[in-house]
Amino acid sequence: MKAIKTLILTLVASFAATALHAAGELNLFGWSEYVPQDVLEGFTKETGIKVNFETYASNEELLSKLVAGGGNYDLIQPSEYAAELMIRRKMLAPLDKAKLPNLKNLDPELKGQVHDPEDNFTVPYMSGTVGIVVNTEVVKTPIKGYKDVFQAKFKDRLVVLNDNRELVTWALYSLGLPINEINPAALAKARPVVAEWVKLVKVFDSDSPKTALLNGDVDLGIVWSGEAAILWNENKKFQYVLPAEGAHRFIDILAIPANAPHKAEAHAFINYILRPEVSKIVSENFPYTNPNLGARQLLTAEQLANPASYPPAGAKLQTFRDIGKAAADIDKLVTDLKSAQ
Amino acid sequence: MPVPAPRPLLPSGLKLLNWFLAGWTTLVFIFLYVPIAVLIVYSFNSSRLNIVWEEFTLTWYGKLLENKPLILAAKNSLVIAGASTVLSVILGTVGAWLLHRYRFRMARGIQTLVAIPMVMPEILMGISLLILFATAGMRLGFTTVIIGHVTFCFPFVLVAVQARLQGLDPALEEAALDLGATPLKAFWFVIVPSLRPAIIAGALMAFTLSMDELIVTFFIRSAASVTLPIQVYGLARVGLNPMLNALSAIFLLATVAFVLFSAYLKKLSPR
Amino acid sequence: MSAVPAATELAPTDSRRPGWRAWALLAPMVLWLLAFVVVPTAILLVYSFCERDEVGGVIFTFTWENYHRVFDPVYLRIFVRSVYYAGLTTVICVVLGYPVAYYIARASVERRNQLLLLVMVPFWTSFLIRTYAWITILKQDGLLNGLLLSMNFITEPLGLLYTPTAVVIGLVYAYLPFMILPIYGSAEKLDNSLIEAAHDLGAGPVRAFSSVIVPLTMPGIAAGTLLVFVPAIGMFAITDLMGGAKVPMIGNVIQNQFLQARDWPFGAALGVIFMLMFALTYVILQSRGARHAT
Repeated sequence: MKAIKTLILTLVASFAATALHAAGELNLFGWSEYVPQDVLEGFTKETGIKVNFETYASNEELLSKLVAGGGNYDLIQPSEYAAELMIRRKMLAPLDKAKLPNLKNLDPELKGQVHDPEDNFTVPYMSGTVGIVVNTEVVKTPIKGYKDVFQAKFKDRLVVLNDNRELVTWALYSLGLPINEINPAALAKARPVVAEWVKLVKVFDSDSPKTALLNGDVDLGIVWSGEAAILWNENKKFQYVLPAEGAHRFIDILAIPANAPHKAEAHAFINYILRPEVSKIVSENFPYTNPNLGARQLLTAEQLANPASYPPAGAKLQTFRDIGKAAADIDKLVTDLKSAQ
Repeated sequence: MPVPAPRPLLPSGLKLLNWFLAGWTTLVFIFLYVPIAVLIVYSFNSSRLNIVWEEFTLTWYGKLLENKPLILAAKNSLVIAGASTVLSVILGTVGAWLLHRYRFRMARGIQTLVAIPMVMPEILMGISLLILFATAGMRLGFTTVIIGHVTFCFPFVLVAVQARLQGLDPALEEAALDLGATPLKAFWFVIVPSLRPAIIAGALMAFTLSMDELIVTFFIRSAASVTLPIQVYGLARVGLNPMLNALSAIFLLATVAFVLFSAYLKKLSPR
Repeated sequence: MSAVPAATELAPTDSRRPGWRAWALLAPMVLWLLAFVVVPTAILLVYSFCERDEVGGVIFTFTWENYHRVFDPVYLRIFVRSVYYAGLTTVICVVLGYPVAYYIARASVERRNQLLLLVMVPFWTSFLIRTYAWITILKQDGLLNGLLLSMNFITEPLGLLYTPTAVVIGLVYAYLPFMILPIYGSAEKLDNSLIEAAHDLGAGPVRAFSSVIVPLTMPGIAAGTLLVFVPAIGMFAITDLMGGAKVPMIGNVIQNQFLQARDWPFGAALGVIFMLMFALTYVILQSRGARHAT
């Protein structure tokens, strides 16, 4: 009986807690661990605005929760292709640039991207690429592109992202086909390539592909550049190579949902993040490419020398566009090929 | 309910069987605890990515205490699992008893419905519950998370209790009723005590399921009601560091200490 | 308990029919099931006939299209594989878990609850951390290979991790307690005199065990099978982490519709068929069991 009483008290307390939403609040829905705790605390200390940080682990998790009607978020962190979709569906609020003077710190190269040509809705947060990690102690032959990775001699020595669209994109790159035009003809061409590739892979892992490489269970991988940067920091034998055929570049952005209850606080947070000394903290925790040129000047020579974070100029990089219904075709294709083994 | 007298020793011919059972149980416990031992040892590993052993350190225990989000998530998980377990035990035990005790047309339908949450893929349960809560205008938070957890936990209690009920002597309740007890009293004072082992088993399962659930929770939680699995899963992206092992080690040691302490108290208290 | 005087026979039909009090007690569970099981299932059912929306979510129309796609041999093969792994896991769990459950049920009253708690405690750490501990053990230069090499059992490290063996180890590890606990629940009430009597009548310990004890704990075994087999069919996190996500399970396929393909209606249709198959099997087994009992 006592347990029941405690329970009722807990329930009442939690109701009370959720009912109280004081002014000066910010509901941030972002990638797990992507916004460092120090940044959140620093913002609250300076502005008095309390940050409620809720996390997700993929763009589709974010979209699912929003579409199913969850939460009243003030600031979200989708990747560029999800943002493009949300702009088209009028799910994002336009930014008030007068409130964001620190926009001047951003790398002009990332301005006017296809997902938001006028930069009206989105601010780049970090960007990264998908590329090849080579354990140079074991693999002595030069690895330049996708075709060098997927060779019969590397059977069961490979880890790749467990992401069906990525897999098909690499196949399209290796065939010299455009990666954002997914139609039955392109998929028919990609199919035999992917079929050969899935037979060679030892591990599919999107969450922590570095584990299999560090453990020595595999020698080569196609992974997020952030993973590759962590590997390089751990041991310089892990070299990052951007595939010669071309590579996927992603841009994680900050955006304000159209129905956000605290838009002013959201602007304040974006402007805070854009300060060089704040953005630098993000870089220290997450070795992706920082679009904030001011922050880059504050990084150490070693951080800037990390080839996974700051790849040499001249690489062929392309962002994903939303492919609509074709995503289902890709899923069917890869599921089919994987289960045929 | 008086504690039953210790059982008589088995006749010597069955000793072999007993030895076998003890040996087998030891082996299974080794299987259960080998990964846990590894996990605890690695909580003292100085390597941040915790994949190869470097050297002994206690720093992760210190860092754990400073990591407010992780501590908060652990606290939330305990509260949510505790509340879900209490509710699941009530719903599951009463439900099992009524389904066992009475014959009515809806019984088989209810029985099947109870099993649905066990088979429903987590993502479907998460999204459909979120749609329901959003449509009903409920704010996400502890309440919604506990509702979700009870929904997939209480069938486990119900099934465990039902298995126990199947061998229960029907004369037990009738006797109590004859002696003048109301059906409610008969249930509380006669049936529940005889179901205790199954209720404990069910409660343990419910608590464990709730402590470890990730996907349903993701959809029906708010920023405040973050749980441990969600926090841990997020950390996998930056690399699971030994801090998480340290947290697990503390959990385990606290439970084991609790077990030993309660055993010690029982020994002290005179019968 | 046998000391209680025999009851005058109640008319069984009357006492078995629920009165208003019983209905009042039943009401919370029925309402709970309606609100949080029936309504969500109904939502899924509706969604499974809709069309996909580009951001996820659905466009409300009526189409059989999603159900046409479900009955593709690819998904059938994946489903069969999932059932196979779940079945194998269940069998191994019964074999490993039964003696343990029985042993705990025989222990002294105080020790019983302690042992029970000790079965469960390993699972109060997070799933990911436990699985990573297994990876530390099974990986190529891991603890198991190190041990076997140093004892000269093997000359080359075994490639254990990311194989079906690793998947089965992971599944058995995760589900074993859910087999042990219900069996314990029904074995605890058995009297030692039963096995003694069987023994006195000349049955060897194995016969006494298999022909007296096991049948009496059948409800526990059945419950454990349900609690292990059913959740194991949809499990995919362990197969992904320990098996390298090389072969998809039915759980992966459903999850992917939401988190990769953004095709909710098809995911809902897969789920509806999955649950329907389960419910049908369950109802058939139950009615058979009921006929058996009468």
